[in-house]
Amino acid sequence: MSKIVGIDLGTTNSLVAFVKDGAPVVIRDRGGDALVPSVVSAAEDGTVYVGREAQRRLLTDAARTVYSVKRFMGKGLDDVKGEASLLPFRVGGDAGGVVKIGLGAKEFTPPEISAFILRDLKHRAEAFFAAQGEVDNEVERAVITVPAYFNDAQRTATRDAGRIAGLDVVRIINEPTAASLAYGLDKRHSGLIAVYDLGGGTFDISILRVEDGVFQVLSTGGDTHLGGDDIDLLLMHKVLAEVGWSQTAEKVQEIRKAVIQAKWDLSDREETEINGKRYTRADFETLIRPIVDRTLDPCRQAITDAGLDASQIDEVVLVGGSTRIPLVRRLVGELFGRTPHSELNPDEVVALGAAVQADILATGNREMLLLDVTPLSLGIETMGGVMSKIIMRNSTIPATGSETFTTAADNQTAVDIHVLQGERELIADNRSLARFRLRGIPPMPAGLARVQVQFQIDANGILSVTARELRTDIEQTIEVKPSYGLTDDEVERMLLDSFEHAEADFAARLLIEERNEAESVILATEKTMRAPEFPEIAGKDLAPGEQRRIEAALAELKAAIGQDDREVIHEKTHALNDATKHLAEVAMNRSVQAALSGRNVNEI
Amino acid sequence: MTSQITASPLQVCRDCGGGAPVDAHFCPQCTKILTISRHGDYFRFLGLPRKLHIGANDLDQRFRGLSRQFHPDYFVNAAPAERRASLERSSYLNDAYRTLKSLISRVEYLLQVEGLAARSPQEASQQVPQSLLQEVFALNEELDEIRDLRASGTPADQLKARLEKARGPIDEKRASHEAQLDELSTKWDALVDRNAADAERRPVLEALRERVLERNYINNLLAGIEREMSNV
Repeated sequence: MSKIVGIDLGTTNSLVAFVKDGAPVVIRDRGGDALVPSVVSAAEDGTVYVGREAQRRLLTDAARTVYSVKRFMGKGLDDVKGEASLLPFRVGGDAGGVVKIGLGAKEFTPPEISAFILRDLKHRAEAFFAAQGEVDNEVERAVITVPAYFNDAQRTATRDAGRIAGLDVVRIINEPTAASLAYGLDKRHSGLIAVYDLGGGTFDISILRVEDGVFQVLSTGGDTHLGGDDIDLLLMHKVLAEVGWSQTAEKVQEIRKAVIQAKWDLSDREETEINGKRYTRADFETLIRPIVDRTLDPCRQAITDAGLDASQIDEVVLVGGSTRIPLVRRLVGELFGRTPHSELNPDEVVALGAAVQADILATGNREMLLLDVTPLSLGIETMGGVMSKIIMRNSTIPATGSETFTTAADNQTAVDIHVLQGERELIADNRSLARFRLRGIPPMPAGLARVQVQFQIDANGILSVTARELRTDIEQTIEVKPSYGLTDDEVERMLLDSFEHAEADFAARLLIEERNEAESVILATEKTMRAPEFPEIAGKDLAPGEQRRIEAALAELKAAIGQDDREVIHEKTHALNDATKHLAEVAMNRSVQAALSGRNVNEI
Repeated sequence: MTSQITASPLQVCRDCGGGAPVDAHFCPQCTKILTISRHGDYFRFLGLPRKLHIGANDLDQRFRGLSRQFHPDYFVNAAPAERRASLERSSYLNDAYRTLKSLISRVEYLLQVEGLAARSPQEASQQVPQSLLQEVFALNEELDEIRDLRASGTPADQLKARLEKARGPIDEKRASHEAQLDELSTKWDALVDRNAADAERRPVLEALRERVLERNYINNLLAGIEREMSNV
């Protein structure tokens, strides 16, 4: 039986994880990087790039590069008009139909774009298992996470993305539930959990109840356009105001990198430099305070919606890179009156939880049981454009509901049914999921037929429908036309199409991996050389000319990654690795000594 | 209860063809999870007698215990037929738990399986139950007056106070109503315990049905007052 991995398919970054010797771990590339930026780019020659490489191309070829595709999953063109106007890539499609995104010369649906990312994660996992020397290294099954508020169309689109990428999505679970699983909070006998998720571009808050290993989402809230990117933008504005607003694209990118580095620095230090000037954590906190404050109202609202008081929350879990910022931790801690969990890497925690669930599925371990709920009520259109609810929101899934229909005319053999999801009274305010035509009703006088339609929501929150005429006990044929989704045939065709890309993708992937590894070596070297203790190390521990040799190797590798020659990058990476071997040992020894003497490295 | 179980029809395991009691979850012969049978009911499914007082802890424990037996998470590697059976059985369990969790939905469900289903809420709300005629008449008059006062610009806090007051008798009615439901439930449970004849059970069920209709009506009245409140 093939392995099951856990995947966090994020708006900004995606990750893959699995359980090894009883503990979940994320799978890194050879350069040690766990995050795959959720970016897909197509070159002129049709080569498709994913992740870091695609992110790089955002600077050089923005029109052929797609990001934040998660925002479009399961959506119709009408839903995303506002969103699309803010993005550099083409967003189109037929009115009332599924969104199409322009990538190079072709158009793709959001599940196809997401499939490129999933395929990259699949390959990453397979390469990892192969490197571990495992005989069976194929990855064909996955647990994928989605936001708790995702509706049926968005969940179905996520499952379709998996199928197009050659992955059987054995379970879709909610991100906050996954984060709680990663922390082992299911082991609590009972408790209330708040999951605060501040990512690159989105903010989500969820309140969960856990009882004897059973999870229930009580409420969710958030802001779909609030995150770390807004903080970067504020810092960039600050610098651009100082250096002048008209800058070349390269210079702007340089500034962007510098301010992101400064933001990271200020999470573990009291001060840093931006644009050659001293910048303290206090300055930073004053600047970003309004952004962090904007997350607090949705938190209060979610607590109220759950019928609770902030003091009743037993555990607070932090998710998303932006929760590393001390101000965020402090304000969240104050709001809930307790120190939030931050023991796990907030970028990885959702993927780790997905891996825990994957392991439960693969091994059949019955200690834990995750019972999610459906976030929205399911219903059908009745006379007068009113929605009649069949399965109520917050019902534990899987769940069923049924409704009996009859015919309005003599000898009528078909009935049209419109399925919706949402909480509002009028169908126009709810989400249209699908239209069904029930056929094969035996001819009889009007009002005599009794067609029972059974709605089934499975453990993934995905709907299926069956129907039966009760008088004759005849099973009905149902044609499903998802309002904003793909039919099975379309998914099948996309899966076949994707094989055509496979060859070109392979060469591109090798280059990307090489580049990623090079980048991480560069990053590590630069970090060591920028550390406050470096001048002392250079003076005391390094041989004459050693620093110069390192700097030369660094410059050569930086030049090499700008080119497309994989061999050269490989060679220069090794060269830099060799040149920094001694430096790395020295730095490591110092930090070990510092740790042994109980002092912080920064204090030496 | 014992006599009922022995008299219960058999279901057939689709996997090995062996017979199993209708409320068994797994085939006694081949141990495979059984396709859900169209017979049986929520009470039997959870191993409970058809009684209206159920300990909340008992119900929770049965629910979790059965979830751990047939949740789809544990059948990911099983054959398609077993996966299907696990999905159906889990859905049925979740529906059963949700239905039996509160007394009122338990009563409604009992009436349904005993063949005395309440009319649809829409239908029920159109007809004023006899026992409520007086209160409904008074309330409607009061609401009309409040609407007139609102139209003539009476301050909101005065209107709110009147609405609160109008609510009083209805709230009282609901409280006494809950007590009646509880009393009838106890009566029903005693009948089940001593395996009473249908002739004895029938009047209790009829009375329960009346209470359910009244309850729907009372809830509609309270919702009407809430609506007026939000208009003020």
